[in-house]
Amino acid sequence: MAISEPLVEFLGFFLEPLAPFMPGHTFPAFFELEMFHRALIAAFLVTIVAGFYGSFLLMRNLALMGDGLAHVSFGGVAIGIVLGAAAPLWYALLFSVSAAIMIHELQERELLTGDASIAIFLTGMLALGLVVLRIWGGGVTSDIEGYLFGNLLLIDYQDLDLILIVSVLSLGSLFVLHDALLATTIDAVAARVQGLPVRWIGLWFSVTIAAIVVSMVQVIGTLLVTALLVTPAATAQLVGKSYRSCIMWTQIFGLSSVILGIYFSSELETGSGSMIALISAIVFGIVLIGRSIYNQKTNNLNP
Amino acid sequence: MEFSLLQPLRGDYLTNQTPSPKTIWMSAKVVSIEGLNVIRSGKLVLEDVNLEIHKGEFVGIVGPNGGGKTTLLMTILGILQSSKGKIEIFGFNPYPTNFRGEVGWVSQTAANIPTKMRMTVRELITMGTVSRIEWWPFSIRSNEKREKIEKAMELTGISHLADKDISRLSGGERQRAVIGRALASDAEVLIFDEPLVNVDRSARNGILKLLDKLCHEQEKTLLLVSHDMAAIRQSAHRVVYLDGSIQYDGHPDYLPDLIDLAGLRGIQHVHQTDDQEEE
Repeated sequence: MAISEPLVEFLGFFLEPLAPFMPGHTFPAFFELEMFHRALIAAFLVTIVAGFYGSFLLMRNLALMGDGLAHVSFGGVAIGIVLGAAAPLWYALLFSVSAAIMIHELQERELLTGDASIAIFLTGMLALGLVVLRIWGGGVTSDIEGYLFGNLLLIDYQDLDLILIVSVLSLGSLFVLHDALLATTIDAVAARVQGLPVRWIGLWFSVTIAAIVVSMVQVIGTLLVTALLVTPAATAQLVGKSYRSCIMWTQIFGLSSVILGIYFSSELETGSGSMIALISAIVFGIVLIGRSIYNQKTNNLNP
Repeated sequence: MEFSLLQPLRGDYLTNQTPSPKTIWMSAKVVSIEGLNVIRSGKLVLEDVNLEIHKGEFVGIVGPNGGGKTTLLMTILGILQSSKGKIEIFGFNPYPTNFRGEVGWVSQTAANIPTKMRMTVRELITMGTVSRIEWWPFSIRSNEKREKIEKAMELTGISHLADKDISRLSGGERQRAVIGRALASDAEVLIFDEPLVNVDRSARNGILKLLDKLCHEQEKTLLLVSHDMAAIRQSAHRVVYLDGSIQYDGHPDYLPDLIDLAGLRGIQHVHQTDDQEEE
């Protein structure tokens, strides 16, 4: 039995009665489906985790890292499919974590800048995935499209288990390492002088990001991972005034993008991943415009 | 107070030449460097550097670009490896990893705070108190830590800015916040890399006063790298002129002027050569 099954059953107990109160035509019917309960739990879990870690990616100027590791994980998925794996995401996890360690080491040893190493892994592994699929896997099928653009409703218990394990481990380790990670992010030299193991913290961060990205693949797709990892955090930077408030706003923007994304994708019958990414970008656009108008007004008031 | 060179900010410790208990107290060695050589990208940047810094001293390091000032700081901090020689802090070698928070680092403001983040002054200073990984770190801080944070803000004179976003502060205020973070770590030795860059004139004087206060009231040992020769002359107890190796180490008043220092590097003064040619 999957470890996530009791959780889905438990939350399903609360979600089912909500169906009559939900707006739209198709959306309420979803609340009666077990696969939707799984999808909702998966989406919420990865959004919460991505919100916390995305803020750090942004602060560390590594916004591209999520995208790069997602492409690497696609290579892993392709090899997993070709090898006939039941859950190719575990292959993705292996590839993504190894790439994260290599990128981190290349950066640490100053052999390559962060951007360059990410770009090389990104294109190289995506290409490997496509070539392997073309030769041995019968090309890009609809199954594979699910990994590229995400398909929430196709998440099975095995995938949910992976998402649950990654989420619990990443949130647990962040709880312990949060202050050390923040200190390292602000000023690595000062943190090291204060006695923090900066290098190990960086390695742990890279590996965790790799695992988180893999856990997000089914929800939003390898091509769209950045939409949940970076966009909500970037939107929060526009309204937050402190680190703490930014973290709170990141969660608000992330979770509302997911809820609205799932709602519109079910009503308009579009892919869930692309709709979540689109809503997330629209929210950013609206907040950006609102912010500029507010800035202009306050500047006019206090010239 | 309006600043002028005629009214230096220097405390009366320089005019008071009689040996005091403080002089004896200051004799305790804090940083000790012997025969240090550092090679960076195949080039010998520091050669045979010998330096002793005592408790309570305020040492200014000056020198030309590429003279190895930052390299020396980075080697003291253990970020760069030395190829030869010995560094001790409080009598023991803290490398590679067992720093115990005796040293505080204040880098240039501009490079110091990621621009893409929102953070209040208090949140920034709190980061100075993080010296190890704790099992219960999330916003649950001991009273002791809180006191350290408040004290650091009070000392640096930024208590009124505690809840302000650092990206909205002026250069001088931001530099104070960064100094506050180093103070919150309870470090005995504070190392500054160009703290007077990117700050306006009045903020510069404010920071110099703050450094003076840290040295004489808080009894911290300060090591400061700066291009601002006037600031070092008026504030530091001791000046070190570094150009590959130490060319001068002594009282700021006796620091040879720039022409003599150029002579030390084998550069002849232009006018002097013209005169010689005329002769």
